[in-house]
Amino acid sequence: MRRSERPLLSLPRPLLFAFLLLLGLQALHHHFDQRSLETRYRPLGQPFSAAVYRGLAMGSEQLFGYLLAIRLQLHDNQVGRHFRYQLIDYDLLVDWLDQISGVSDGTEYPMLLASRVYTATGDHAQLRRILEFIERRFDDDPQLHWRRLAEASVIAKHKLGDLDMALGMARKLARQPASVVMPQWARDFEFLLLAELNEVESAIAIIQAMLQSGSVRDPDELRFLQSKLSEFQQKLFESQQSSQN
Amino acid sequence: MTYQTIALFRYLMLGIISRRLFVLLAVLLLAAVLAGGFIHELTIINGAAIVSAFIADFMRYCLALLALLTVASAVAEDYESRQFERLLTMPLARWQYIAAQALVIACLCLLLVVPVLLLVSFYGGVALGVYWAGALWLELMLISLLGLLAILSLEKVPLAVFFALAIYLLAKLSGLITLMLAESVRLSDGSASSRALELIFGAILYVIPDNGSFAQNNVFFESADLLATFADQLLSVSIYALFLLAVSLVDFYRKEFSF
Repeated sequence: MRRSERPLLSLPRPLLFAFLLLLGLQALHHHFDQRSLETRYRPLGQPFSAAVYRGLAMGSEQLFGYLLAIRLQLHDNQVGRHFRYQLIDYDLLVDWLDQISGVSDGTEYPMLLASRVYTATGDHAQLRRILEFIERRFDDDPQLHWRRLAEASVIAKHKLGDLDMALGMARKLARQPASVVMPQWARDFEFLLLAELNEVESAIAIIQAMLQSGSVRDPDELRFLQSKLSEFQQKLFESQQSSQN
Repeated sequence: MTYQTIALFRYLMLGIISRRLFVLLAVLLLAAVLAGGFIHELTIINGAAIVSAFIADFMRYCLALLALLTVASAVAEDYESRQFERLLTMPLARWQYIAAQALVIACLCLLLVVPVLLLVSFYGGVALGVYWAGALWLELMLISLLGLLAILSLEKVPLAVFFALAIYLLAKLSGLITLMLAESVRLSDGSASSRALELIFGAILYVIPDNGSFAQNNVFFESADLLATFADQLLSVSIYALFLLAVSLVDFYRKEFSF
């Protein structure tokens, strides 16, 4: 059996008025509370130099580096809530990440925080700053950081919309010597991005060079490269045809 | 003579072993496990290594303090209860008391590192557990012997603990202090006082344990030759421990006990 309801307007007027008043009060309170909460955000302090942290570590540099990274990771959680990344000073953040990288050599943690956590910001200037950090620190240990640079390249393309930056990173990945072991797809980024930038001729040249060098031996990868080569040659042919017409 | 020393060691050891010590050890282990679990929740990658290293270091500093306090309190009690005067009426040489105390320290440290061996082996694997237990035993021996020297000389627990901890921290933070002094020389354009301080600290470094005397926590993250690392530490600690025992003997033989 369905219970019928009385129309809202048939309720006593003082009750309706009180309800609307309290709803407004609650909304206002929430609004001002949010704003006052942001003023309670405690910004990042200036980090000490890596040498000082190494001294303070009392011989446990690696552990100390990780603990510093975890402390940094928790910075956006204050007064029992999570603060927006836009509130963080990314120049200081990058300084912290640099110092932590200096404390514990060979750790992936600061780069991981940069590529997985701090790229979640919606601010393009901050995003660019953190991607530049990843690109710079990649040179410290390409073998350890190739995944982070590959992620950064994808983020630069899709989130930042900066194809040139993405291409620069992809080129860095592609130019790594064979001694840096990484899957072929990481090296393929360069020609894929070139094709997107309508630099099909350069993309074709790179694929042809890869096929001729004999560095690619995996049959699936060879098939992929050949299909891309055919696709780009077709694209180039079509664009030449349309320009002639 | 050996029998007398062993009898004295047994007597001193019974004074140290208590239910309170085991309860404290159990509380420390529980705290280490809980804190390690909390850290593990926060890590994004490499959680197992971070937690093992954290638990190892947590236990290192807690047990160093516990061993130091235990040794210092036991010897201080001997002073307060005029135990030395009684012992010296017996056919015992002073060196035998020091030898018995050294044996007590070795056994106490062994007792303290056994649970650490189990805990670190559980979190970080048997090889790391065995290395850490051995290295921690050497480190605890070192700080306990420092504590023995301090309490024999200063006779008061707070002073002795403060002195031993100061030496321990000075050794641990020597890298940072050297860096600060070098920076101070640079900022003062090589002033004489800064240079003198740097020289004095450089001289102090010769009589405090070096970094190689302590358990190396970085082995939890790097592939290191554990045996070679342990052998280096064993050599450093052996030399320094003998030096501390020699100083303790000199100090103890110089003491006058009134009957």
